[in-house]
Amino acid sequence: MGAQIKMVSVAQPRFGFHHVNSIRLSTRAAIQCLDGARIDPCDIGLLVNTGIYRYKNTGEPAIAALIQEAIGVNRTCAEDTGNHKNTFSFDLNNGGCGLLTAIEIVHGLISSGEIAYGMVVTGDSEPFYHLSKEFTFKSAAAAIILAGSKNSNGFSLFRTYTYPEYSDEFVSTTFYSNEGWHGKGRNILNVLQKESYPDICVDCAEKSLFGFLDESGMKLDDIDLIVPSQSPLGFTDKLKKRVGMNGNFIEIEKTGNMVFHTAGPAFALKKVWDDNRFRSSKNIIFLTIGSGINVSLALYQN
Amino acid sequence: MDWKCQIESIGVKIPGKRLTTSELMGKFKIPCIKKFGLLTGISERKICSTGEDSFSLATEAAKNCLSHSKYRADELDMIINCSITKYKDGLSHLYEPSFSALIRKNIGASKAITFDISNACAGMLTGVYIAEKFIRQGIIKTCMIVSGEYISNLCDHAINNITTSFSSEISSLTLGDCGAAAIIERTADEKKGLIISGFTTLSKYSDLCTGRQNRNTPGGKMKTKAKKIHQAAISESAPIVQEALKKCRLSLNDIKWLIPHQTSRSSIISGANHYLNCFGEKPGQIVITLKETGNTASTTHFLALYRYLNERRFSEDDNVMLLCFASGLIIGVVIFKMNEMVYRYGSTN
Repeated sequence: MGAQIKMVSVAQPRFGFHHVNSIRLSTRAAIQCLDGARIDPCDIGLLVNTGIYRYKNTGEPAIAALIQEAIGVNRTCAEDTGNHKNTFSFDLNNGGCGLLTAIEIVHGLISSGEIAYGMVVTGDSEPFYHLSKEFTFKSAAAAIILAGSKNSNGFSLFRTYTYPEYSDEFVSTTFYSNEGWHGKGRNILNVLQKESYPDICVDCAEKSLFGFLDESGMKLDDIDLIVPSQSPLGFTDKLKKRVGMNGNFIEIEKTGNMVFHTAGPAFALKKVWDDNRFRSSKNIIFLTIGSGINVSLALYQN
Repeated sequence: MDWKCQIESIGVKIPGKRLTTSELMGKFKIPCIKKFGLLTGISERKICSTGEDSFSLATEAAKNCLSHSKYRADELDMIINCSITKYKDGLSHLYEPSFSALIRKNIGASKAITFDISNACAGMLTGVYIAEKFIRQGIIKTCMIVSGEYISNLCDHAINNITTSFSSEISSLTLGDCGAAAIIERTADEKKGLIISGFTTLSKYSDLCTGRQNRNTPGGKMKTKAKKIHQAAISESAPIVQEALKKCRLSLNDIKWLIPHQTSRSSIISGANHYLNCFGEKPGQIVITLKETGNTASTTHFLALYRYLNERRFSEDDNVMLLCFASGLIIGVVIFKMNEMVYRYGSTN
């Protein structure tokens, strides 16, 4: 038994605000996802958060635990609730590939029968308001619920390709600056993306995609849909042209220079989920790319 | 095939600089805490000096682990970094790329898949939990779990903010720095395999211990309702431990070494007494390694294992239980039989 997608939800700030609490945004996506999936929330056995840029850079507890509390899933031991269910939650950071890495872990647990449902949540926003340089990621969150598949539908193959020689192409880190107001220092988030990064991402993604197709014994013509990462800026557009899959290579409309980060693939998924293209496609590839450089791919079959 | 996994080797990196509890207490302008060393059992902790940080500790621990291992770096299939603190180049927090991706590059683990996880002080055992899933499904054969904690900087914030012994930042004074790494490998030997059980997050208690980055000063801060989280952890963990023991058909008497999360001596002892009341039995020995290193966050279990391995205290086939409590509130149990690793660390038993 594999795992299939039961529901996907996304959330963005209301009224056009950019700065929001990433945990609240992720919680909103998770609640919508639970409502849409129509399952008992207590059946969620694993909850993984994969957001990178989190509210006030909270280090502990895991953001996943805070989301679990906010959505009220198995808050305490079985004795209190009268059932015998529990939820384990943790954060996973793997840049733009985090969402798919977490899905792979959930897929494994569902396949082995350890859990009935798993939820992957992701959300990014500027950690401290106006304390960053070159932060071009949209405030956005997404949640995906995975469930067991009774037939062969769902995820069937996961692969990650690594390109450590490009690890310094994208680096985001904090530095301490003494130039704050009234002489107060500030921890500033600095996002350093080399000019060559988008092109290198396209090269790595193309190489990985064809490597993945070889491993899965498929050709590009067999693929009905590619659900990719939406960052860095220009990545989807260039890769789409390179592989020649225009309409079936899902791209979210751009608004300025801001891009979706870890939630990007989920936003692309939501687009084809809503217009029913996802369910009507036979072979779907999830293609995510992140700093490192890591490229993670998964094959999903209906 | 459903594979089992076992711990193949362990490595640590302890920074050289010492900070004694009396030196730490001397930093307070107005003495407000009494008998801290006596209550916590911590007489000193090791802290990072210039040039050391979470990343350097993790990298050195990974190298140390490889030096005890039969595997070369390029034979590792996966690296999971599990640290809470992600400081590189001093107190600069690294968001991206992941620590594990940079460790891969530094140690030459060219084919390893990498990602970071964060689960407070349960980080490394959560790493074991994930590695076991990947190994059991046959996706990988070897996985390195690594963590580097430059967490003593929380003391600096605490010293400036603590005014009474009831302060929510008191727990920050127990912290020390350390790096730890372990290689988890596939095994066909059912008897030596890890039993992983009870990993659960009781989010009702998620507000009892919170840590985050400072806005105006380098480093972070942590606020803990120490008494409440201790009470919750002890009372909630007893049925989870019981279930784990049942799963591997053992009683608490059969556990030769119980290694709990190293918070403070008094809380470990009161927890042990609670277990004695609940189970009517006790493990062979409860491991406390706080005295010289303090609470080293996610690395405590593997630091304790490494130390006892080097002190040749373990024998092959000893039953060991790792018990984690972490903010969230996370409770997890890992039980395993000590394997032939003991001989590589010099044991003759």
